[in-house]
Amino acid sequence: MGELLFEAKGVGKTYGANTVLHDIDMQIYGGEVIGLIGENGAGKSTLMKLISGVEKSSMGEMFFMGKPYSASSILDANHQGIGMVFQEQSLVGSLTIAQNIYLGREKKYSTCGFVNWNKMNQDAKKALERIEMDIDPSKKVRDIDFAARQMVEIAKVLDVVTEAANGHAIILLDEPTTVLSDEEIQKLFVQVRNMKEQGNAVIFISHRLDEVLEITDRIYVFKDGEETAVMQTEGADVNLLYEKMIGRSTTGEFYVEHKQTVPSDEVILEVNDLSLFGAFNHVSFELKRGEVLGLCGVEGSGKEDVCAVLVGDAAPTAGTIKMKGKECTFANPYQARKKGILSVPKERRDEGMIGILSIEDNIIVSHMDALSNHSFLSAKKTRKIAQDWVEKAGVKCFSINDRINQLSGGNAQKVIFARALESGCEVLILNHPTRGVDVGSKEEIYDLVRDMTAAGNSIILLGDTLDECIGLSSRIIVLRDGLVTGMFDCPVGDKPLQLDIVQKMM
Amino acid sequence: MANANNKKSFHLSDFSKYMCLISIVLVFGVFSVIIPNFMTPYSLQNMMTEAAPLLLMAGGMSFIIYTGGIDLGAGAMVSCTCVLSGVYVAQFGNAIIPIMLIAGLVMGLVNGLLVTKLKLPSFIVTLCTMNFWSYIALYLCPNGSEIIPMDKRFMVQWATQKVLGIPVMFLIALVGVAVLYIFQQYTVYGKAIFGVGANVSATRLAGVNTDMAQIAAFVISGACSALAGALYAYKLKSAVPTVGDALTLTAIASVALGGTSMAGGRGSVLRTALGVVTITGVTSGLNMMGVDPLWKDIIIGIILIIAVCLNTDTRGRDLIVK
Amino acid sequence: MKNKWEDSLSTLSVGQQFAQKVKEDARKDKIRRYAPLILLIIMTVIGAISQKNFFSWGNVVNIMYQMSIPLVISTGLMYVLLLGSIDLSIEGVMGFAGSFVAFLVVNNSNDNDFGILGIFLVVLISTAVGALTGFLHVRARIATFIVSYAMGCIMTGAAVLVYRGTPIQAKDELFNVLSQGMFLGIPYLTLIAFAIFIIGALILNYTAFGRAVYAIGDNETAAASTGINIGLTKIKVFALCGCTAGLAGILQCIRLKLGQASLGTNQMFPVVTAIVIGGGSLSGGKGGALSAFVGVLIYTELVNWLTLMGVDPYVRKVIQGVIIIIAVTLTISRSRKTISK
Repeated sequence: MGELLFEAKGVGKTYGANTVLHDIDMQIYGGEVIGLIGENGAGKSTLMKLISGVEKSSMGEMFFMGKPYSASSILDANHQGIGMVFQEQSLVGSLTIAQNIYLGREKKYSTCGFVNWNKMNQDAKKALERIEMDIDPSKKVRDIDFAARQMVEIAKVLDVVTEAANGHAIILLDEPTTVLSDEEIQKLFVQVRNMKEQGNAVIFISHRLDEVLEITDRIYVFKDGEETAVMQTEGADVNLLYEKMIGRSTTGEFYVEHKQTVPSDEVILEVNDLSLFGAFNHVSFELKRGEVLGLCGVEGSGKEDVCAVLVGDAAPTAGTIKMKGKECTFANPYQARKKGILSVPKERRDEGMIGILSIEDNIIVSHMDALSNHSFLSAKKTRKIAQDWVEKAGVKCFSINDRINQLSGGNAQKVIFARALESGCEVLILNHPTRGVDVGSKEEIYDLVRDMTAAGNSIILLGDTLDECIGLSSRIIVLRDGLVTGMFDCPVGDKPLQLDIVQKMM
Repeated sequence: MANANNKKSFHLSDFSKYMCLISIVLVFGVFSVIIPNFMTPYSLQNMMTEAAPLLLMAGGMSFIIYTGGIDLGAGAMVSCTCVLSGVYVAQFGNAIIPIMLIAGLVMGLVNGLLVTKLKLPSFIVTLCTMNFWSYIALYLCPNGSEIIPMDKRFMVQWATQKVLGIPVMFLIALVGVAVLYIFQQYTVYGKAIFGVGANVSATRLAGVNTDMAQIAAFVISGACSALAGALYAYKLKSAVPTVGDALTLTAIASVALGGTSMAGGRGSVLRTALGVVTITGVTSGLNMMGVDPLWKDIIIGIILIIAVCLNTDTRGRDLIVK
Repeated sequence: MKNKWEDSLSTLSVGQQFAQKVKEDARKDKIRRYAPLILLIIMTVIGAISQKNFFSWGNVVNIMYQMSIPLVISTGLMYVLLLGSIDLSIEGVMGFAGSFVAFLVVNNSNDNDFGILGIFLVVLISTAVGALTGFLHVRARIATFIVSYAMGCIMTGAAVLVYRGTPIQAKDELFNVLSQGMFLGIPYLTLIAFAIFIIGALILNYTAFGRAVYAIGDNETAAASTGINIGLTKIKVFALCGCTAGLAGILQCIRLKLGQASLGTNQMFPVVTAIVIGGGSLSGGKGGALSAFVGVLIYTELVNWLTLMGVDPYVRKVIQGVIIIIAVTLTISRSRKTISK
């Protein structure tokens, strides 16, 4: 093991009243590959953001090469020798590979402002050769395939950080294998080992445990924003990792289980062999009246895309959707709502709240065509509806004329729930309904979910944590790599174990 | 830090809310001091006639701006309908007004469909369709303006007459503004239009037919511009193919002066109306002071830039504006 | 569309499907990139058929002459479009520059004789106006179409104010030389215009600034993370666009020896059309100097042909409108979820 490169002591991150990462200790040594695993929302990406300079930590300290470390931006982190390869690619398609690698760093190649592309290309060639990539650096990025782009991105980050910290750089790889073929993955691993031999450290994040076991030296396991285990990869196996990844199980009381309804036999929504090219394939299920159907899967498993198709935000490649036995297709969310499907979107601020409109408008927006009399709305009526919902859902606000963006996360989410309930839609898709919501509001939201099913609505739930998904659902479907890998019944008192579900997820 | 930011922009948006009132008081106050007969009934009547078509046009334009779009061809639409009504009023009589209304609806529909169905930015669509409208205007009036024949004048006379000292035209415009206000405040479309401007993806995911809302905004604006064009023909008693050239700027500036954000989502037709009154006050005042009318565009342009700067919400720091 | 993918749903893994989708997009992109060249060939063939001496030196020079002003405008405008922005103030700035330069050099309305100094002054003012547009856009975060529109109206107003009614005739000797002089049968005006364009193209292709423009237009967030000063780059781009618009106005004035606001009328829109036809995109990041040049060339040949066919200038404008709608529809980047405003 090499020298100690990086150390985190008691690092954490809070957003308002929410703690998403708590008391993390981590040591990274030169010439080491660290695996980072945990289910969604376990805090691993948050930690990466803190290390790579995207966000600032709220507590604790970090050290790099023995000196206190803090990065104000990605660029700042790069200059110090820490670089992250992002999942969503940050390359510029219309520039050449070389230009991308040296974007923002052209100075050393320019004379009188004019850049010597030849010299840059030669250096880029070297940078690419470092990861054994034989490709013409004067090619434009949009002309090379996806796997090659990923490698270029790695070459870019590697070049930046080695310039700053040769032989003791840290490279963060966030889910680098998701879209690669087996052969390409092996190529990537060869490069990871090369980096390691040069004395650098690599942090490897993946949902694929077999890969983690293959490439890493040490593994950190995260759950619920805490670090639960650190182990040598030697001697670890998949089952041990599963065990460590499972979060704590909360009591049934927290999820208001006594109000969980037994679904009726009436099938509301029937999905048959639904596929979206490049996202998920052959998904089939039935949703009954009063049922909460949980969709589980890691990021990129296709569950988000299933939702997108169901709410009319994406057109399926194949398969059918039946509402109450009638086949239907949606060109947009409006048509989906007309057929009775509405979602509570995942990104509350961007997709949920209509920020500068009032609480009242936000509540009635999904139902106003039905409330209106020949498209004319009665102000009295809408005010009353909004007032009722604010009371029923327990939204804390001064008046219903407040802008929704003046509310806290939890209260805004309750308004959006009120909108969904007011819409009269029978199928509600709750996409991470408790994301970024404080504990108190969480409980109130769970209560609302129970009320929804009691009122005869059916719910498709994408939980923020696995625990939440199990606690709320009456049935769970597990997706992995776009395919359905498991289905579990979750009646009260006989909920499936997290371990069983995690095994199907990863 | 975040709180401090919030506070600051709060003040700013508060200011933009009252900007139209402050500026209206300022403009009329200053001018009535400088020009002794600025507030005489005669001059006020003139201003009302001047403001009437602009009230309609800016009122309609407001709706497009609520959605976050813009109509750069509105002026050409006014020219086009002014020419159409001027030329055909002899043939159709006062039925030309409803005919123009329908023409305006169609013109707006074309814009709306191009923006929503082809997903093109509105400024480019309206710049393109502008060519069509001005082509029609110039095709029908190739030699500049054409006067409505003397023997048909009786048909258009009523518009410039006065009821209780108020020009009929201005009354029509007021009714128009009232209708627009009701539409904005109490209909499903009005709410949807504001939703599109405030956060289009959220509104769309809430199951609102956002395409329809955008089209509605363009259609309304088209109808209003067409009506404004007809009023110009009645006011000038001729078909003038260049009447709308400078109006697009004036209309946009009036909307901005009313405190409506160019990014969309908030504003009010009533405040736009106050903006129109202010701008009419400015132009008439300068006119009466004997300032060269050539300054008009420059002044209105500067007003537009200042008003837009004051209206902009700088809170969304990470938002990319192009 | 639907059935094309259906067969591979069961045979490929989701990840492979995704990679294939990316590949497909790249392939479509490639086709789109060659489309302007094909169009150029078609236009040239049409030209050659409908005009006997199409390939004669005289006609080539003529086409180059017609291209000059649009080419100068496109020099700055291509930068702006690469950012994904628009500059609607070009016509106003052109009108002002043309009017004001006529006012400053020897003319029929006053005793000014600033000569070349006047030209420099006007270029400087135009650049400053462009920079101001950029500054307002960046600082107040106002969409460019609205700032530049207002700025354009102000500049048109200023242009009319310069001469108050009667356009000024420029009588400077320098203007006569520049408008009538030729080198190898090519007018000086054309040479100047091509020189301006080539300088613009070199800056775009061989400087870090040029690359930054591409990066911002393509992916602003990524560009920011590499340390590019986004605001400053944008202001520079608008200053450059103001500068070339000013130059275009001066060249117009030299050509017509008349300074008036209408020098700029209907000059910007054709160039936007041309750049988009050449493969540029209104959403930014696509196109470049070569594609702008090809676009302007196609457009000039098209106008030539329309004139030859005796199409009325107003109808020509309508056709222009239709062309740009088609061209923008084909090139603008959007997905199902994109909503345009």
